[in-house]
Amino acid sequence: MRLLRALAGLALVCLAQMLLGHHLPSVARRCDLFSVYVVFIALTRPQRPAMLIGSGAGLVQDALTGAVLGLNGFKKTLLAYLVGTLGSLFMLNHTVPRFGILFVSALFDPLAELGLSLAMGQHYIFPAPGDLLMLGVGNGLLGLAAFWVAARLP
Amino acid sequence: MPRVLAQRKPHLLLFLLLSLNLVLMAASVRGVRGTSLLDEAILSIAAPFLKAAAWSSDTVAGLWGGWVDLRGVEYDNRRLRAEAGTLTLQAREAEEARQEVRRLRELLALREESGRRAIAARVIARGAGGSARILLLGSGTRDGIARDQAVITPRGVVGRVIEAAAGTSKVQTILDPNSGVAALLQRTRVQGILVGDGESACRLEFVSELARVDVGDVVVTSGLDEIHPKGAILGVVTEVGEAKDLTRHVKVRPEVDFQRLEEVLVLTGPPPATGEGTP
Repeated sequence: MRLLRALAGLALVCLAQMLLGHHLPSVARRCDLFSVYVVFIALTRPQRPAMLIGSGAGLVQDALTGAVLGLNGFKKTLLAYLVGTLGSLFMLNHTVPRFGILFVSALFDPLAELGLSLAMGQHYIFPAPGDLLMLGVGNGLLGLAAFWVAARLP
Repeated sequence: MPRVLAQRKPHLLLFLLLSLNLVLMAASVRGVRGTSLLDEAILSIAAPFLKAAAWSSDTVAGLWGGWVDLRGVEYDNRRLRAEAGTLTLQAREAEEARQEVRRLRELLALREESGRRAIAARVIARGAGGSARILLLGSGTRDGIARDQAVITPRGVVGRVIEAAAGTSKVQTILDPNSGVAALLQRTRVQGILVGDGESACRLEFVSELARVDVGDVVVTSGLDEIHPKGAILGVVTEVGEAKDLTRHVKVRPEVDFQRLEEVLVLTGPPPATGEGTP
């Protein structure tokens, strides 16, 4: 059941990201729903299934966005592991820490991609600080909204 | 499988998932040569082994080929050494024959020059102790050799026959102290008797103290002993001593190298009569 819910959540995220990219591209550039979903899973689920779902979400994102297959899978797996580790060490049930972890996860994404690109000898243009800030804020707000909605679901 | 992995430590799962994604990335990303990073990584990892395998294969093939070649080379080497030995021996024999022919030609020319009947004889032995005072020839009376016949070479006078047997004959050389050859100095025509000193030189005796003798004067036979032909070279004056008892001591070095003598010419016929042509 949990697996089905996780898959349904992933499908919802895919749909939302595609719709945003289609109809509101400026908004889509300022939020990464897959990262928000992975952080949400990592904070609400045990570490091991979180990593599996994160890896799957990343691969789906690769497939949808046309990125290098495995790139987002790698990042999301690592993100799930790190957030899960932090969640096991600190109390991240409140709004501010959640927003903080969502904000940092938004910064982690381009940093990880930069490292992987360098390792693979690929070119990567690092986002401008303003864009990063907007991405972090967007992810944080969307994540808080997701937590709020999830807390009210049966 | 994921459940099994999930039940183990998260680090192992993390490692597997990251590795899986890395492999996927490597398979997708194109390298500088247009191949995927996965191919390049596999090639990079496999290259040393492939090189080692190729090197081993080449080395083994090279060693085998070298060994096979070496066997052939060894066989050729042995065969060529044998051939070289045979050829060297043949070359030495040919050189020996060539030198013998040269010497015999010289003897033949000397025989024709002397105008007398003569035979070539081989020196088969020397006197006791290796001295050249006495020589033994391989020809004897059967060949026409008789006592008191002159023995010469193209270089000069050797001596005279003192004994003759059927197949051998003994020659007393001019080095023998008991020998005596009527001689004269070619330049000044001063006469004397050439006597051997028993070793390797001779002395010209009965030379007047008034005679003009210089070192380097050529000594030839005078023919007065009726054994040796007139004008045959005996040697060269090497030392002229002070006069004593009305005579002068004159040391002569023979022209003939008695230690290396191999063939000689024995003059078996009488000298040509005066006024007649050569026979």
